Amino acid sequence: MDFTSFDLGEFFGIGDDFLSEMMMLIWILPIIIFVFYGQRIQLIISSNEIKKDIDKLEKFKNDSRQKLIHYIKNTLNPKDDPVKKIDSFLEYFTIMPVDLDPNGIIPKINHLIHSREDFTRLQVKSLFNEISDFELTKVHNLLEIATSLQLFHKITRHLYLTAKKQKNFPLILPLQMMIPFIMEEANALKDAVESMKNGQPMGDGIGPMVVGEMMLGVSKQNASFETVWAKSEYEGRELLLVKAEGPNATVGRPGEAIENIIPQKKPDLIIMIDAALKLEGENSASIAKGFGAAIGGIGTERFKIEEVAVKNKIPILAIVVKQTIKEAITLMSEDIAKQAKVVRNQVFEMIKENSKSGEIVMIVGVGNTLGVSQ
Amino acid sequence: MRNSQRTISRCYTCLECKSCKNMTKRKFESGDFVFQSIGECSECDGSLMVTMIFGEIIE
Repeated sequence: MDFTSFDLGEFFGIGDDFLSEMMMLIWILPIIIFVFYGQRIQLIISSNEIKKDIDKLEKFKNDSRQKLIHYIKNTLNPKDDPVKKIDSFLEYFTIMPVDLDPNGIIPKINHLIHSREDFTRLQVKSLFNEISDFELTKVHNLLEIATSLQLFHKITRHLYLTAKKQKNFPLILPLQMMIPFIMEEANALKDAVESMKNGQPMGDGIGPMVVGEMMLGVSKQNASFETVWAKSEYEGRELLLVKAEGPNATVGRPGEAIENIIPQKKPDLIIMIDAALKLEGENSASIAKGFGAAIGGIGTERFKIEEVAVKNKIPILAIVVKQTIKEAITLMSEDIAKQAKVVRNQVFEMIKENSKSGEIVMIVGVGNTLGVSQ
Repeated sequence: MRNSQRTISRCYTCLECKSCKNMTKRKFESGDFVFQSIGECSECDGSLMVTMIFGEIIE
């Protein structure tokens, strides 16, 4: 092949005539623009999309705050104008314990979380002369929703503005990847406000709903803060039933409750019932069985249950009802509510298959028990 | 994804008579909660209990 006759002008469309010069411009200009300004163009396109979501987050944040203030002012009877106090609660932050040496971090996190909960509860109480536990837990949950939305908005806005300020395209990429998940959770939180205000059960309440029915007609005792337990019997087995105290909007402290009950009554088996996030492609309200402590949250309650179970060599079985994040924290769907009966039958089957007559089985209904009593 | 796009429009309360097991469904009223005793059955004067509270789903 003869490379000496290669004509560079012909290759780039450069010729003598005007048309060829125009062709050259069409070729070369975009290349030059994309070489020098490609990342900035991508930054502008991506940041415009993200800006729309940040505006939505801001709206969600403002709406949830407004609804909370409206609910307190119009439904409850506050001592003074609650706006200033509510706004100061929304700005509270939590500094997690140092984890350079993770040994012993769980009691520290536990202490921090409980202190925060106790403090918030006291602050909410201070807004009123008198408030029932039911309304107190509802306002506490509504405050948590508004705080979470405020935090989502603040963090996404910070990442967005930093990337724009630095004109740095790679800085916006993690946010671009995370924003659909943040928006899914923010949408769910926004929708949760209405059912929370009305005191209606949420999808996460399926565990307490199953155990709540098993507790009907038997006397209940306090197991730990906002958590109750009761004794029952099924085909020669003694059942120890544990759930958060309904119909308040609380998840209780099941870890602490199990720690308190086990020294008195050593169970031979623990069965936990909870809602679990479904994977894409899985059906909502489908039931799955497995092993291990079925409980979400930051991990301190699960740690306690695992510790006490290992110490006493008690096997833990789990039954979960799959749902999306939105279904878990908004009004319970009909499909999920109808599964309560099915799960209860599966729990009884599990008891028969995995324990003998005369043994003790502990059954724990995990989740927010708003609108579900016992 | 299809499931997460569903919206819940209306909340219902399901009532069941403990004696005759007759089931009725009505719109949710403020103060309703699951396993609440809520008066007497119109059929047999048995005790009525809330068995379910759920949202009707519209695609």
